[in-house]
Amino acid sequence: MGASHGRTKPNEFQELMDKTGFSAEQIKNLRIRFRQLSGNEETISRENLDSIPALANNPIKKEIIDAIFDKRNQHESEVGSFQEIGFEQFLMVMSHFRPPTLKTTVEEKEALRKEKLRFLFNMHDTDNDGIITLDEYRKVVEGILSKSGAIEPETAKGIADAAMLEVASTNVPNMAPDDFYEGITFEHFEQILKGLEMENRMHIRFLDVGTTMRCGRSTS
Amino acid sequence: MTLFPADNLLCLGISITVWFGLLFVFMIVPSVLRVSFGMRRLYMRTLLRIFEWATIRMEIEAKKRNQELYKPYSNDIIVKEPLSSLQQDIQELRGCLRSEAEFEMSDIFYFCRRGVESIVDDEVTKRFSAQELESWNLLTRSSYNFRHISLRLTVLWGLGVLVRYGVLLPLRVTLAVTGISLLLVLTTLVAVLPNTDLRFYLSEKIQMMCYRICVRSLTAIITYHNSGNKPQNGGICVANHTTPIDVIILANDGCYSLIGQAHGGLMGMIQRAMGRSSHHIWFDRAEVKDRHLVAKRLGDHVADKTKQPILMFPEGTCINNTSVMMFKKGSFEIDCTVYPVAIKYDPRFGDAFWNSSKFGLVTYLLRMMSSWAIVCSVWYLPPMNREEGEDAVQFANRVKAAIAAQGGLVDLIWDGGLKRAKVKDAYKEEQQKLYSKVLVGEQDQKEQSGDKHLEDESTEEERNDQHLRKGQ
Repeated sequence: MGASHGRTKPNEFQELMDKTGFSAEQIKNLRIRFRQLSGNEETISRENLDSIPALANNPIKKEIIDAIFDKRNQHESEVGSFQEIGFEQFLMVMSHFRPPTLKTTVEEKEALRKEKLRFLFNMHDTDNDGIITLDEYRKVVEGILSKSGAIEPETAKGIADAAMLEVASTNVPNMAPDDFYEGITFEHFEQILKGLEMENRMHIRFLDVGTTMRCGRSTS
Repeated sequence: MTLFPADNLLCLGISITVWFGLLFVFMIVPSVLRVSFGMRRLYMRTLLRIFEWATIRMEIEAKKRNQELYKPYSNDIIVKEPLSSLQQDIQELRGCLRSEAEFEMSDIFYFCRRGVESIVDDEVTKRFSAQELESWNLLTRSSYNFRHISLRLTVLWGLGVLVRYGVLLPLRVTLAVTGISLLLVLTTLVAVLPNTDLRFYLSEKIQMMCYRICVRSLTAIITYHNSGNKPQNGGICVANHTTPIDVIILANDGCYSLIGQAHGGLMGMIQRAMGRSSHHIWFDRAEVKDRHLVAKRLGDHVADKTKQPILMFPEGTCINNTSVMMFKKGSFEIDCTVYPVAIKYDPRFGDAFWNSSKFGLVTYLLRMMSSWAIVCSVWYLPPMNREEGEDAVQFANRVKAAIAAQGGLVDLIWDGGLKRAKVKDAYKEEQQKLYSKVLVGEQDQKEQSGDKHLEDESTEEERNDQHLRKGQ
């Protein structure tokens, strides 16, 4: 019956901890969350994520959900996208956003940073040719800007073009008038965002649950 | 030898009689006479002591094996930082690169992080699954984490199962059946009476009695606070909704007019029986969609001061009793006094939340009847009226805040209907608009000071456009 419900041996977590870099506590919490999202099933589909109201607010919701189901973010060499993901794959994707701890070395921070950049790059580069073309970039920009409201589609297009231009001029400074700029490669991408301090801002801010509470008399 | 079967039958007969006799004396008669022996509270105190003992034992065993046992009470995973605006967050993110206002590639980071955080923890989805307990109440259904720790505990749990399913469940089912049949029979009898005043008086008494029996059949231990604020005739009573049992709990203490859809089968029979002898509002399926009709019937009922207050649950669906979700404004558009009521269940004795996507009604009732008890507190809040210049939505929010504050529940703006439906696109467009304003607002400032530069740049832009267009 229920006595063995949800029993996990410490070894099972150990493997996940090594692979993803999360702590045991964080993995436990994420598992509860996974169960909530999947309705106690083994896998999550896009519909499960679609139904999170707070995510619906997000202008790039579609891109984020696609990124979660993107095989490229699993640190393996496959491409394409999943229909459903299991808990381990969920953790792998979330590990791109794991917070640094006090013990994280400089090399690890560098690696983390590169991972995050890769994640974002993949989000833009939908056809996986290693380059973000103008079209791909425009799509993302238009997603963030309003379709109905302060900015018209022409302006949005203009903004995307201008941003793209800036990237081109930064990375290929001496472009001749007839040169054609194909798109942003990963190296260029890294170059642009070199100054951006990602380590302390671009991770999930987990609640620190160091001290456990006793069950006392709850006042009701 | 031939005596044996007769002997057995006799024993059986005697034990059944004794059983029913005890039942009658200790349960039904007190319900009829409105007397209580205080046995349920004694039962509750005993149970609490047993739970404490069990938890201490688990703690000892866990320490011996060096395992972590308690989960932190907090449901949150993400730090809830103070709400900074979109603008502030983006500025912070950009601040390290440049302070210019144009669209930056880094802006997308902000939305990305927000999105991932919503996936990891959001306020709404976790309200639709049952609350997890931090100590064990000997019900394996209420916790996923407790495993076999010691023999003593498993034995205790086994005993618990025996008691609950072998003793309590049949007892409760018998009571429930008695209560409902009494209701049907007596209301039919009363409906025959010609004198309407006498009829309604008697039916009130009968309904209260039957609700009392039902309450005992669930072993519900209810504490009513502030009874001075009890709803009066000609008003509407609103409460937060956790389970269909809410109706029984509230109707145990006063007579209400119920409102709902007309069902078939057993429910339909009960509804018709109740409707014969007192005023309830039952809608057909088709009528439910017609808002005006609903509002009119409610209005008529409320205007008649001899009719009992209407009981409504504005959330529209069952929530797991940790929060209060959006109140639908329909109940608040009618011009009358609103009596808010907060109901809070104590999860230590049994989880009252009805997760309708997981269990059907019958399964749910069986679960309820095989828990230890249902302990809850009901607070009657002071009546509220719609103020000048307040519209229905604002009034609804005001009432909701009062109920949440009293019951110790979280006050959320989200719609309970999200349990089944999706969020409208309008919310996403709101965010887009907000972000666009950030860009446009700042660009406006730039334009004012940069008119001259535009003329110089135009020729350069034409040249640059060529680079980009070739790629298309």
